[in-house]
Amino acid sequence: MDYKVTINKFEGPLDLLLHLIKQSEIDIYDISIEKITKQYLDYIRAMEELNLSIASEYLVMAAELIEMKSRLLLPPVQEDTDDNYEEDPREGLIKKLLAYKQYKEITTQFKELEEKRKQIYTKAPLNLKPDDYQSESVNLSILLDAFDKFLVRKQLDQPLSTKITKIGLTVNERINKIREILIKQKQVKFNDLFDIINKEYIIVTFLAILEMAKNQELIIKQTNNFDNIILSIKGSEINA
Amino acid sequence: MHKIAILEGLLFVMGDEGLSFEQIGDILNIPINEVKTLVTELKKTYDGDDRGLTVNFLGNALKLTTKEEHQAYYQKLIEVDENNLSQAALETLAIIAYNEPVVRTQIDEIRGVNSSQMVRKLVAKGLIKEIGRSDLPGRPIIYRTTNDFLDYFGIASKDELPPLKELTAKEKDDVDLYNSVYREE
Repeated sequence: MDYKVTINKFEGPLDLLLHLIKQSEIDIYDISIEKITKQYLDYIRAMEELNLSIASEYLVMAAELIEMKSRLLLPPVQEDTDDNYEEDPREGLIKKLLAYKQYKEITTQFKELEEKRKQIYTKAPLNLKPDDYQSESVNLSILLDAFDKFLVRKQLDQPLSTKITKIGLTVNERINKIREILIKQKQVKFNDLFDIINKEYIIVTFLAILEMAKNQELIIKQTNNFDNIILSIKGSEINA
Repeated sequence: MHKIAILEGLLFVMGDEGLSFEQIGDILNIPINEVKTLVTELKKTYDGDDRGLTVNFLGNALKLTTKEEHQAYYQKLIEVDENNLSQAALETLAIIAYNEPVVRTQIDEIRGVNSSQMVRKLVAKGLIKEIGRSDLPGRPIIYRTTNDFLDYFGIASKDELPPLKELTAKEKDDVDLYNSVYREE
C-alpha cells in the first residue's frame, strides 16, 4: 500500500488513527486491531524512512497497539466467571478515539465562527484618564537636559580604546639573552632577570630559566629560605 | 438629555472592551429592563443602510462594531490578515471550552499529545486564563476560557457555543463490547 507521508499533517496519534480508520473505511466501533496496527506501524516506518523525527506520543501509541494485538492473539481465558465479563482491550481505545473525534469535528464550526467574526471590527477603548506624563513640572528645557544627559551617558558607554602591543619575545631569544648576561656577569640574582614588568616577559623569562636548568646549563643556589636566588652558568663556575 | 445618545457615546468610548447591561444600568442609573429597551432602540437606529455601525453582544459585553457587509472595504486598509488559529489551537480550545475548568493533563488525555506549549500560547493570546490551582497531586493550574475567547468566535455567552455532538445511544451501546465476539483473525 502506498502511504503519502506529509509532515505535521496530524495533530497526534489519535488523529493519525482516525485518518487511517477513515481511509480504510473501517467501522470505528469494530476496528480490527491487527489491521490498524499494521497500517499504523507502516505509517510510522514511512515517517522514519523520510527521516522525520517522530514525536514520542506516536511511539507510545504504537506500543499500546502492539500490546493490544498480542493480548487479542491469546486465547480468551475460559474461567467463566459469574458475570461473564471480559473487557475488550479495544474499548479504551475506541472511547478515546470517539472523544477526540467529537472535539476534532466541532473545530469546523469554530472555524466558521472565527471567519464570521472577522467580518466585523471594533476598536480599542479610549484612554479617558488624563495623561500621566503631562504635568506642570515637565517642560521643554527639562526634556533637553535629559537628552543631554543621555548623550553624555551614551558617550561614556563607548568602549575604551586601548592598544595591544606584542613583544613577540621567544623563549630561545630570552635564553640567549640570559646566557649573555651570565657570561658577562658570571652570576645574577633571579629577581634581576625580571626587569620588565610585563606578563609575557615574566613568563618567557621564567620558562627560559627552567629550560636552561633542564639543560644543565645553570646552577641555581639559595643559601637560606627567602634569600636571593643566585643563578650562574655551569661552565663559568668551573672556570671560576 | 437623551439617554440613548449617552449610551451610544459610552459604547464608542469603551470599544472592544464593551459594557455589560449592569454597567450601563449603573452609569445611567436606570433598571436593567430600561437598559435593554435602550439597547434595542439604539440597535434599531443602526439598522438602516445609511449607518456604518451596529451594536453587538460579544463575549458577555455590548460592543459597538462595524457591519459584516462592509468588511470588504475595511479589508482594503489591511495588507494581509490570514492569522487564523491552527487546528491544534482550535482542538485545544474546544476541549477546554466544553470541559472547563480543566487542568492540562485532561487536555493531554483527550488530545493524546502534550499540550503544554499550546496552552501557554492560548494564555498569551488571552483566549484562556489561569484561575487557580487544583488539589490534584502536583497542584496543577486550572484553566478556563475568557470573554475574549467568546468574542473571538463572535459568541455572546457560553450558552451559545455550538452543541457538542453527544455520543448517541447506539454509539454508546457499541462501545460496550463486553460480550461482543472478537473479529480478529
